[in-house]
Amino acid sequence: MSEVVMKGLKKVYDNKVTAVHDVNLEIKDKEFIVLVGPSGCGKSTTLRMVAGLEEISDGELYIDGKLVNDVAPKDRDIAMVFQNYALYPHKTVYDNLAFALKLRKESKEVIDKKVREVAEILDITQYLKRKPKALSGGQRQRVAIGRAMVRDPKVFLMDEPLSNLDAKLRNQMRAEIIKLRSRINTTFMYVTHDQTEAMTLGDRIVIMKDGYVNQIGTPQEVFNKPVNLFVAGFIGMPVMNFFDNCKLLLEDGKYYAEIRGVKFLLGDFQQKALKQINAKSCDIVAGIRPQHVTVGEGELSAKIEVSEMMGSEYNIHARTDKDEVVMLIPTVDLTTDVSMGKTINFTTRPHLIQLFDRETGNNIIWYDAESAANNAPVCKRYDF
Amino acid sequence: MEANAKRLSLKKERAPKKKMTKEKRVRYFKDNSPYLLMVLPAVLVVFLFNYLPIYGVLIAFQDFMPGDKILSDSTIWVGFQNFERFFSDPQFWPLMKNTFLICIIGFVIGFPLPIIVSLMLNAMKGKKTAKVLQTIFNGPHFISLVVLVGMLTLFFGRYGLVNNIAAHFGGERYSYFLESSAFRPMYILSSNWQDFGWSAIIYIAALSNVDPQQHEAAILDGATRFQRVMHVDLPAIMPMVSVMLIMSIGGLMGVGYEKALLMQTDGNLAVSELISTYVYKRGLTGVPDQAYATAIGLFNSIINVVLLIIANTTSKKFSENSLW
Amino acid sequence: MEKQQVKRMALRDTTGDKIFYTINAIFLGILALIVLYPLYFIVIAAISDPDAVLAGDVVLYPVRITMEGFSKIIERKDVWLGYRNTIFYTALTVILSILVTVPAGWALSRKTLPGKKAFMIYFIIPMFFGGGLIPFYNVMSSLGLVNTIWAIVLPAILSVWNLFMTKTFFESSIPDTLIEAATIDGAGSFRIFGEVVLPLSKAIIAVMALYYAVGQWNSYFNAMIFLQNENLYPLQLVLKEILIASESTVGGSGETILQQYRLANQLKYVSVIVSSVPVLLLYPFVQKYFAQGVMIGSLKG
Repeated sequence: MSEVVMKGLKKVYDNKVTAVHDVNLEIKDKEFIVLVGPSGCGKSTTLRMVAGLEEISDGELYIDGKLVNDVAPKDRDIAMVFQNYALYPHKTVYDNLAFALKLRKESKEVIDKKVREVAEILDITQYLKRKPKALSGGQRQRVAIGRAMVRDPKVFLMDEPLSNLDAKLRNQMRAEIIKLRSRINTTFMYVTHDQTEAMTLGDRIVIMKDGYVNQIGTPQEVFNKPVNLFVAGFIGMPVMNFFDNCKLLLEDGKYYAEIRGVKFLLGDFQQKALKQINAKSCDIVAGIRPQHVTVGEGELSAKIEVSEMMGSEYNIHARTDKDEVVMLIPTVDLTTDVSMGKTINFTTRPHLIQLFDRETGNNIIWYDAESAANNAPVCKRYDF
Repeated sequence: MEANAKRLSLKKERAPKKKMTKEKRVRYFKDNSPYLLMVLPAVLVVFLFNYLPIYGVLIAFQDFMPGDKILSDSTIWVGFQNFERFFSDPQFWPLMKNTFLICIIGFVIGFPLPIIVSLMLNAMKGKKTAKVLQTIFNGPHFISLVVLVGMLTLFFGRYGLVNNIAAHFGGERYSYFLESSAFRPMYILSSNWQDFGWSAIIYIAALSNVDPQQHEAAILDGATRFQRVMHVDLPAIMPMVSVMLIMSIGGLMGVGYEKALLMQTDGNLAVSELISTYVYKRGLTGVPDQAYATAIGLFNSIINVVLLIIANTTSKKFSENSLW
Repeated sequence: MEKQQVKRMALRDTTGDKIFYTINAIFLGILALIVLYPLYFIVIAAISDPDAVLAGDVVLYPVRITMEGFSKIIERKDVWLGYRNTIFYTALTVILSILVTVPAGWALSRKTLPGKKAFMIYFIIPMFFGGGLIPFYNVMSSLGLVNTIWAIVLPAILSVWNLFMTKTFFESSIPDTLIEAATIDGAGSFRIFGEVVLPLSKAIIAVMALYYAVGQWNSYFNAMIFLQNENLYPLQLVLKEILIASESTVGGSGETILQQYRLANQLKYVSVIVSSVPVLLLYPFVQKYFAQGVMIGSLKG
């Protein structure tokens, strides 16, 4: 068992700058949790507080039910993989892996057995006698992971472990981390700024901004049920299209979204949810994912400025009177001419429109005030 | 409601907070006390050989005899009497003039030379040759002052190379060491000979950090090599130049006694006696007058600090470069 | 392909550039001669017949090569005693200075050093303000160091400049994450310093050792004011007697004086060589470290 529980975790630098505000998070045993957000959002600081590398200014941190605020890093039973690997340049790969065990005063035989076992799993046995300088980026990455593995930690912390690798190697290592995870079966805390990594790796994703947690949820939840504009814009590629100055209309007991003068009758689920929270007509920002746009029909129109053929799909940048709209259209569905300069009609399926309160930026349907007040925001649950 | 309850329970759990911060402090200190231990020997050495002497300047304001305690019941305080004595010393103006001249002339020649040399070395075509030249230029830095002055006597002494050649062609032998007029040129030129290469290193390091793409862009813009030196290389080392300039101005009156003492002869004393050598002579030779010598030394250090502050403030005002 | 290459070169070097490169090379070449010739002359003068030197015949090459000067200096007991003393002082200074400077530099480079700011100010002040010669002398004498080897060694074991250079080195070349990784691996501060930091600090240790060594090897002043016992004299002080003392006391004239000079000068040439040999032998090997040291220091300048 190795849960990590954060209660009101806070980091204030020099009594002035608050890097992390009041993070409440319960990481379950063997869960893979990803902290994601733009740089300076406090995700690394949060991870480093769990590691014990950063003093906790306020709040409590429990690992495995034990309060560890004032426990030295080595006694927290955690291991960490650093962005720049942080391998000891003067030690061989073998000694890099063995160092922590040696400090724990394990016997030579135990160390040797453990090191070779881990090296086998990571496929670095043939490099054990080399120094880190003689390894490629990917190999160094494996050694860094191996150094964390030999300790059999309760919690595995990873701070942007893939961002120093080139794109191809990154994809490969991402797959390896997924494999590794099924193998060592422990709790993972993973920090990244890359939403793709977050979506593919995490059981749950914690999206942070300016030191605040914006949403905690599964990849499906944060993609389909973003609680506010920031989460909606941060998760998903290409970025969601936002139409400002739209309206949510309640007419004859039915809810409509009015986008650029075009009225969309919202889907069943949305009708029920809006009814339950007793929503009124109001100004909204409407969000439509590029994947959810269909062209060649509908009453909205836009002029194509850029049209990129990406193979299986077209990536189209078009302009309406006010907005720039990005569309991702599968090639097979395409019957309309989408060359540059053409004006096309487009629409979307109404039940996929996201509705954000224009004043607060919160998702009218998915924002959950109660969990947000607790600083552990999740999307609202509806039981129908 | 539930949320409220949860919040309350959170508050409760946080109750023993005060105690924790104390523990935290203890842990912080315990974690970091090894660093204190590591810095301790250095603190001690600096205390003994830098701070105790600073405390010792108090004798500049006393009537002090060697062997007296710096502070005791019998200490005789004389205020600024020692300073006043120095200002009315017939040696005062000559000392000021000698010190100032040797520094200012040395600065005017010695400051730009390394900059020019570093720019030229950097602009050389053959990088290997430039490296060899740099190694040659650095060499004299490692010659000791005693040997350097010894070499000066071997070249400019009565039976040195210059006189030997002059005599060879029937000229008169002539000891430059006994000539007042020869002291400053010998002093300054030999200093530059010894250190121009060494001083250039810092600029060469800065130049090696210039992005080659800047040069390529300038080439495409049609700049000649000389124009690139002026418009790419020189601006790149300007921040370093400012810092060095501030430091040099701070040391404008801070010429040391080591070399001047070695070069002094009865013949050139009129120009070779500097504030620092005078301090040495009054304080440690003949019948020592330590309080007086200390006062003179203190006067000199204060001039230096003031110059440094002025230089730094001026630089801060006109550019973003400053020491602090 | 080749033709293009040629064309490109031609395009790059305009006539103006060619003139620039030529003038540049000539100037630097002359400068190199100015630096090298005095050193070269010392060597050829040392191995030439002193009469030829005195007659001004030795300018470009040695005349009537003789090793007489060297055999004379071998007879000088004071030179060898000075040599031995200097080697001893230098070795002692280097060992102690490394023991003091490197740990202190490491500690000062740590953000978590309690009272770091106060320590920094403490070390910066002596860079710009000092008590001066006389109070320094008095401190040494009240510490009872006068006329002991410690008067030569102890004040030389810490230069604040070197301390800050070491600090800057640690800040710029030991990544924080490496220390954090070691912390998580369970290493304490001393173990991190000994097992992670020191093995990565060979460059700065070498630079510091060389700086302190050259400083001690070349210094004469402290020995001059603090040592009365001639048996403790370092080489530079002995050299000072040989090289310089005679110049300021010029008296008399005629053959005897000339004869004295003839022999004295030969001894001077030879002693310059003998005393500088260790540094000069070392120099080409270590010069990249010296330069490195200045660069480390300049990073923060």
